[in-house]
Amino acid sequence: MKSFLQKLPFLGQCIALSFLLCVFAWLSLFTWSIIPISGTQALSALTSPNPNNIAHRIILDLRLPRVLIAGTVGACLAVAGAIMQGLTRNPLASPSVLGVNAGAALGMATVSTVAPWLGVFGTSVAAIIGGAITWSLVMILGTAWRGGNEHGRLVLAGVAISALCAALTKAMIMLYEDQAVGVMTWLAGSVADARWSDWQPLWPMALFGLSAAFLVGPTLNLLNLGEDSARSLGVKLGLVRMICSVLVLILVGAALSAAGAIAFVGLLVPHIARALTGQDYRKILPLTAIMGATLVVLADVVSRAIIFPMETPAGAIIALIGAPFFIYMVRSKTS
Amino acid sequence: MSLSTHNLSVGYHDHVIVKQVNLNIPEGKIIALLGPNGCGKSTLLKSLARILKPMSGEVRWQDNNLHTLPANFLAKNLALLPQTQPIPEGISVRDLVAYGRSPYTGFWGRLNAEDKRIIQQVMQETEIIKLADQWVSELSGGQRQRVWLAMTLAQDTPYLLLDEPTTYMDLSHQVELMHLLRKLNLQGKTIITVLHDINQAARYCDHLIVMKQGQIITQGSPESVLTKAMLKDVFALDAQIYQDPIAKTPMCVVE
Repeated sequence: MKSFLQKLPFLGQCIALSFLLCVFAWLSLFTWSIIPISGTQALSALTSPNPNNIAHRIILDLRLPRVLIAGTVGACLAVAGAIMQGLTRNPLASPSVLGVNAGAALGMATVSTVAPWLGVFGTSVAAIIGGAITWSLVMILGTAWRGGNEHGRLVLAGVAISALCAALTKAMIMLYEDQAVGVMTWLAGSVADARWSDWQPLWPMALFGLSAAFLVGPTLNLLNLGEDSARSLGVKLGLVRMICSVLVLILVGAALSAAGAIAFVGLLVPHIARALTGQDYRKILPLTAIMGATLVVLADVVSRAIIFPMETPAGAIIALIGAPFFIYMVRSKTS
Repeated sequence: MSLSTHNLSVGYHDHVIVKQVNLNIPEGKIIALLGPNGCGKSTLLKSLARILKPMSGEVRWQDNNLHTLPANFLAKNLALLPQTQPIPEGISVRDLVAYGRSPYTGFWGRLNAEDKRIIQQVMQETEIIKLADQWVSELSGGQRQRVWLAMTLAQDTPYLLLDEPTTYMDLSHQVELMHLLRKLNLQGKTIITVLHDINQAARYCDHLIVMKQGQIITQGSPESVLTKAMLKDVFALDAQIYQDPIAKTPMCVVE
């Protein structure tokens, strides 16, 4: 299937993958429900909703926001990973490896334990601020702002800062035990509790972040040529770094406050997109968005199926696929 | 003079590498920057290419401070071939060369007929047309160097700044490169290149600039610059100067 997709022109790839996304989304609307729902009911709920029909109510109130949030979160995280890889020219860069997830998690845990009255908006802002702090720290420690090209150093900085944030987050949970379950679920990364109220703050940020991200594609292509050549071709490096960082933080902040710390999407998906389309970020970014959405929607379906009727966090399913892929990638880069 | 430096000092962190240099780049010539390792020739070239900001003094483009001019304007006037380039994966030779057109193509990078003509032309000039559809990462070091040179040429600038362009090239490609530089020079380009081979510089360049410890020791035509005293002073070499039997330019033979 991979080689079939590779042979397709770019637009064909987009259409084929979008079709796949729609199929998974449709499955996600009706499968693994305690009250049996049919595939046709899933469609009729969307086209002619009937508030007295219990299946329609489940689909519209629970399943639809869940699948929309899963897809959007997947797209945001994957695109954030692609931008980070382009910006640092580091194949291991992603929100989870470079500490943005851990920082956002810490910010989130701090607000939801110390100041829970701040609500959904407060935790989103805390996630963005936490992510911003760790991202800047990692980039400074990894010398990536000054044109340093020490890939190992950047990843080391990310791992160290992530560990520090994780320790602080755990301490926070222990100190404020009454909020612990919510934070733990959130840390595992899950869309099981996704409701329309989570969709409201997510979609405007995601819409803005994703559409702006597609516009930095051509510049990421030039960065890929090395800093000196990029500058010689007229790229304003400082400005580009600033814009890309802000975009990453918006995308990660939006995704994490809606679904928690889903790791590996940002690392995994850009590499699959690259394998399909080559090194052109004008194509990588849209493909990454579609595939990121597909991956998280699929993982969410699987997370319900594994020990039905219990739920496994979708983040755990992705880590299960992501971790071996990560090891494979590190091995193939070093050999 | 289009490009000049005024009391220019450049370096990294606190370490000053180029010290108080005043230099006018003669227009329409092939200029070689020579000197021992660590003398500051690459650093000077990078600051002429606006990659490095001065610690003090300035680089001027006509009467303006180079570092205050718009990035896209400069990208159409000064092109730099850095000493080392990354080896990008998943990029074909033609696509890499096409990136050289990005100062002209507008935001999304769509190529028009003129862009495509120039890309084709520079690939012919650098003899990489047969490699056009190969991956850059699969080429040899010398081939890759020519691909990067082609990208720099696609920028179509009146000034071309090259940092040791002959590195990784075999002798015949080195000679071809120097002939290509002359051809480009006759089309009106000013070319500033860092070179290691003094005899190559004396044979193919019009104007030599010799640096030592961050300062310019001497500059001028190969005949006036290439002397026993200079070689002794700058490179600590005892050498004899002869006339190249074919090109009639000076050449040195180390004792």
